[in-house]
Order: sequence, then structure tokens, then C-alpha cells
Amino acid sequence: MNQDRVMKLPRHGRRGTKFTCIVALGALALAGCSTISSQSSGSKTGANKAVNPKNLLLVESVRSLSNPYHAQWVKGGQMFADSVGAKLTVLTDEGDSQKQLSGISSLANSGKTIVLNVDPNTNSDTQAIVRTVSAAGGYVVTQWNKPAGFEPWGVGNNWVSHISFDGNVGGEQVANTLFTAMGGSGGIIALQGILDNVSSQQRFTGLNKALSSKPGIKLLDQQTANWDRNQAFKVTQTLLSKYGNKVKGVWAANDNMALGAIQALNSAGMLGKVPIVSASDAVPEALQDIKAGKDGLLATVSTDAYWQGGAAMALAYDAAIGKIDVNKLTHEQRAFYGTQLLVTKANVDKVLTPPTAESLKADFADPFKRMTGAIGN
Amino acid sequence: MSTLEKLRDRASTVVGLTGTASHQWRSRLINAGPVVALVVLIIVFAITSSVFLTGSNLATIGSQLSILLVLAVGMTFVILLGSIDLSSEGVMAASSLIFVLLASNDRNGNNFGWLAVGAGIGTGALFGLINGFFHTKFGIPSFMVTLGTGAIGLGVATVLFGGQPPRLMDGTLRRLGVASWFGVSALLYISLGVFVVALLIQKYTRVGRYGYVIGGDEGIASISGINIKKYKIGAFVISGTCAGLAGVMASAQLDVGDVNIGTGLLFTAISAVVVGGTILSGGRGGVLKTLIGSLIIVVLANGLILAGISPDVQIAVQSVVIVAAVAITSWPLRKRVRVVK
Repeated sequence: MNQDRVMKLPRHGRRGTKFTCIVALGALALAGCSTISSQSSGSKTGANKAVNPKNLLLVESVRSLSNPYHAQWVKGGQMFADSVGAKLTVLTDEGDSQKQLSGISSLANSGKTIVLNVDPNTNSDTQAIVRTVSAAGGYVVTQWNKPAGFEPWGVGNNWVSHISFDGNVGGEQVANTLFTAMGGSGGIIALQGILDNVSSQQRFTGLNKALSSKPGIKLLDQQTANWDRNQAFKVTQTLLSKYGNKVKGVWAANDNMALGAIQALNSAGMLGKVPIVSASDAVPEALQDIKAGKDGLLATVSTDAYWQGGAAMALAYDAAIGKIDVNKLTHEQRAFYGTQLLVTKANVDKVLTPPTAESLKADFADPFKRMTGAIGN
Repeated sequence: MSTLEKLRDRASTVVGLTGTASHQWRSRLINAGPVVALVVLIIVFAITSSVFLTGSNLATIGSQLSILLVLAVGMTFVILLGSIDLSSEGVMAASSLIFVLLASNDRNGNNFGWLAVGAGIGTGALFGLINGFFHTKFGIPSFMVTLGTGAIGLGVATVLFGGQPPRLMDGTLRRLGVASWFGVSALLYISLGVFVVALLIQKYTRVGRYGYVIGGDEGIASISGINIKKYKIGAFVISGTCAGLAGVMASAQLDVGDVNIGTGLLFTAISAVVVGGTILSGGRGGVLKTLIGSLIIVVLANGLILAGISPDVQIAVQSVVIVAAVAITSWPLRKRVRVVK
């Protein structure tokens, strides 16, 4: 009896499911057609049509608001949105690529034209994001992560530009600051970020370049701490028990790891005796440490998160309203390195003061003002 | 097999009444596996690195063990039930922020000292209570409830975080995080204290004893008239409390309240529990095994760096050793009618 019922049910169920599927697919196809026909303004070569600013949806997509870097990024975006009298929407994904893409996808297809400034989680996410935005007729500027050889001009005018920062430069600059403080000789340890991350690799290459010109400095060991403070604490602890007093300097690929290393030195009773540098980020904590000057942190590198949030948004916005003709941009302008600043005790006060809408005005007016060169592959 | 025989068999599995000689041999091997693995690791690293057995490196291992041990010991009680607590990272984040913002810090004028420590731990206990309550009263699977509350913990922490990590300024608590007493990290004393208390709870209280029965076979436990819900909630509260304490310890160690304070620790803690020999389906294991499991994980991470293994292959080597350890530990159990979920 029971089994009979069980056997019969799925047949009815299956027919019902099939019907539902067909209806749903049909609806999807219809929706897809209407989206493409109404908004397929972005072709590879055609001039971008100006969109009425009122129909624009300004979106910043960043990993999370639980780190100071992206919090500043969003503040910069807010300053730009205020300057043009628009509302800013912020998407956070907590490092979840699927969440990032689905958030962007729903906003891109919400009826308004999306203007997106995004920090994609990984290289492979960039492709999906720019294709989604292009298909919906929005405009996007991507930052940091992009697969080599995948270029905005190969995709179309809706992917306005890609911005990154040359880790080679930062990694080398802070290494030289470290070597000078060490008097040109001694052993150092290096903490890398996630090993297959382009920025992490570039920064480490920068360190190696600096090392090659300073034979007195020896790289005792290099380990990854995955950008993480906790891991940096443990790895540094272990390296300190391996090399002890031979460690005369610490190079870290970002501030978080440098701060973890400081605590490890602290617990080993070596705080302030070993100079440390960080190749990126300039988070407030690190800046305050550099200013106080007693923990041994000497330098970091700032990409200016406010600028990344504001000026890049300005670039996408200008393309959307037709102020910038994407067709006329050079390849350099569509994939470029931004300016970074070496922060030491000498200029830390300036960096600690957050920029204002006024001080960023020139960068909003000309988003290419801080362009330093084309991204080479 | 008659129903009665089946029941008896299940009961003997639960209580550990191992009759035959082969049974005894097996259970001895289950217990010895992780210890053997640990000893082998120690011997290998002692040979490959001259630094490994020095006093300073053993102190380093002790310090690195402390936070993981606290988290894993708490987790053990939940895993013994056959449940899981995935909220640890979120709980640590919330307790970290609440602790630092109530202690002397660079964000506000609070200075509650040890009360802030209590608040941080209490936050964990509260999360544990919520986990246990929703799991038992509404019958929601533990992984679902704890995944949700973990996200709530991260959310609470993110709101409190306000874009910039608050720094801990309380001198006593800051020192506690990095101090050494007689060459041993102060945090290790705390975690060993937690371990001893947990061992006593496991051996001498109902929450501990009934945990085995419930995890072994909830049906039997229920028929025996055990108030399952009560003891399950108890286990989740222990786990939450430990996560809260771990958050406070990590904050004191890094001088900062951070949403990411527990990142990566959840799966390390679960690995420590399982590698130690506690079974994910419940009913077997204990905090002593978790101590061994935690030591295996910490010694492995420390030793691979000392042995000069390239960072590119470290994570793979680490995982291979862990999977192998679990496979060896559970080998004698493979014929048991245990559903692998």
C-alpha cells in the first residue's frame, strides 16, 4: 500500500516539475532577451551612449567592512557620490566570490545602469564580473586582481579600466629602508602573503631585487602567513626560535603580518630591537606604530584607499555619463598602475590625516592623475 | 540478530564494554594511534632540526598550543554528542571585540579590567546557550544552527569594529598575552587549567558522562530516561565558553580586538579533535585525546618550518600527514557499523 503510493507520487510530481521548469526557463529566456535588447549599448567598438545621471546606480563592491582598508575605500566612494549628489550602494561579500558575483548581478539587472568599482576576490572572479556588468550595459572599473592577458579593450567599452599597484616598487622600497636601518648587514626573515597572489609575488620579487644589490644582507628564511596576523605571530615565533639573535630585521608583505610579527618579537623579549617593514596597506594601526616609533616598525606603503574608492568610481561614472569616451582611451589608461607612497616617520602625519572631499577634488575631476604607467604582463 | 541482541551490542559499544580479546586489542590501538603519531613526528623533527628540542622552541610550541587547545577542548564535548559547533570563529570575533571595547582601549573610556575578560567569556557562553537551545528545542541540525550563530557573531563583531580595530591598552592584560612564567607562556597555564577542568567535567559530571551515552546512541539514552536536551545544551555552553575564552586570549596576545581573530582556527580545532581520536559521529573520544591531537597539529606546523620545508609544499605536506593520521587512527574501526556522514 504504502509503496504504491510512494511509486505513484513521483510520476505526477515529475510531470509537474517538468512543466514548472519549462515555464521558468521560458520566463528566464524572455527576461534575458528584454535585458539584452534594451541595454545592449556596450559593443566592442561603438561609442558609449551617455546615460542620464538619475538612472545610474553607484556601487562599491569590496570584501568586507571589517578591515580598515576597505572601510576607507568605501568612505572615498561616499565622498565622490556626495560630490555628484548620488546615492552609494555598498556590497560586501566577506571573501565569498559567489556572493560577490550574485550581488553584482542582481544590482546590474535591477533596471538602473550600474556604475561599479570593484575589488574582485580573485583573478578568476574578474572575468565573470566584467562580463555580467557588460551584458547588463553597466560600467565597471576593477582593481588589483585580473588574469594576465585578459584586457578591458578585449572585452568592450563597459569595462572601462583596470587599476593596480606595482608590488615590485613597494617591496623594494621598504626593503631598502630596512637594510639602511640595519646598517647594511645581517639576517632577515620575510613573511609573504598568499603565495599564488600576484601582489604577494610582486612584493617578494621587489625584496629579492633589493637583496641582490646588498650582499651584506642575508635572507634567512621566507614563509607565508596568508596576510593574517595570527599566522604571522606563530610563524615569526617559530622562526625566532629557529634563528634566535641572527634575526636582525623582518620584512612583511602587508601591515597585518607586520603587526603579528611585532607581537611575536614582543613575546620573545625582542620588541624594539629588531626593525620591521611592511610592503603594503598603511592601516591606521601600522601608521600609529610608525609614528610612535618604539615597536620597531619603520615603513609601510600606502595606495590611498580613499583614492581607490573615490577616483576609480569617478572614472566609471564619467564613462557612464559620456564625459569620457572609452574608445578614445589609450591601452595604458585602461590598465594602469596607480601611485603608491612610501610612508616613514618623516611623512606619517600627513598620511594619518584622512583626505577630504576638497583634497580629492582634483583626483575626482581627473581620475588618471595618479597613473604611473601601464600594467605589463 | 534479535532486537535484544542488537540493543545489547549497541549498548556495549556505547558504554565500552569490550568483551573479547580482539576488542581490547583494537581499543588499545585506537588509543595508542595518535600518541604513536605524535612520538614519530617528534623523533623525525628532532633528527631533521637541531633546534626542535631546545627549550626555547618547546616554549614556542607551548605558546602556540594554548589557544588551539582551549578551543578544541570545548569542541570535544559537542563532537562527542555527534554534533558539531561551527560558530567558533564568529564567537571568537564577538568576544574579542566585546572584551577589548570593555577593557581599557584606544576607542572609548571603558576600563573594566578583569570584568571585561568575564564579559568576553560570558559572550561565548551566551552563544553556546543559544546554539544549544535552538538545536534541541527546535530540532535544527547543529551545523545549521551554529553556522547561523557564527555569522551572527561575525555580524555583531563587524558592527562593533566600526572600520578600525580597537587596540587593547590595559597593561596587565597586554602583558598576560605575551608574558612567560618560568619560561612558559602565561596563556599555556590558562589553557592547561581549562584542560584539567574539562577533564574533571568529562569524568565526574553528568554533562560529561551522559555525553558519551547520548553520542553513542541517542535512542538508548532517551529510553533510559536521560534528559538529553539539558545535557546537549550543557555541551554547547562549554564549547561556547571555551570559544569566548579563546577570543579573549587571542586578543590579549595580539593586543587588538579583531573580527578576524579566529580566522582559520575553526577547522584547525576540528582537525585537532578528530586527529586525536574523537569520532565525528559521537560517543568515543575525550579531551585527553584532544590534547594529543592539538599537539600533533602544532608540532607539525612548527616542525615543518624548522625542517626547512618550502612554504609552497608545507600546506600539502601538513594535510597529507593529518589525513594519514586520521586514517590510521580509525583503521581498526572501519568494520564497525558506523555511518560516515
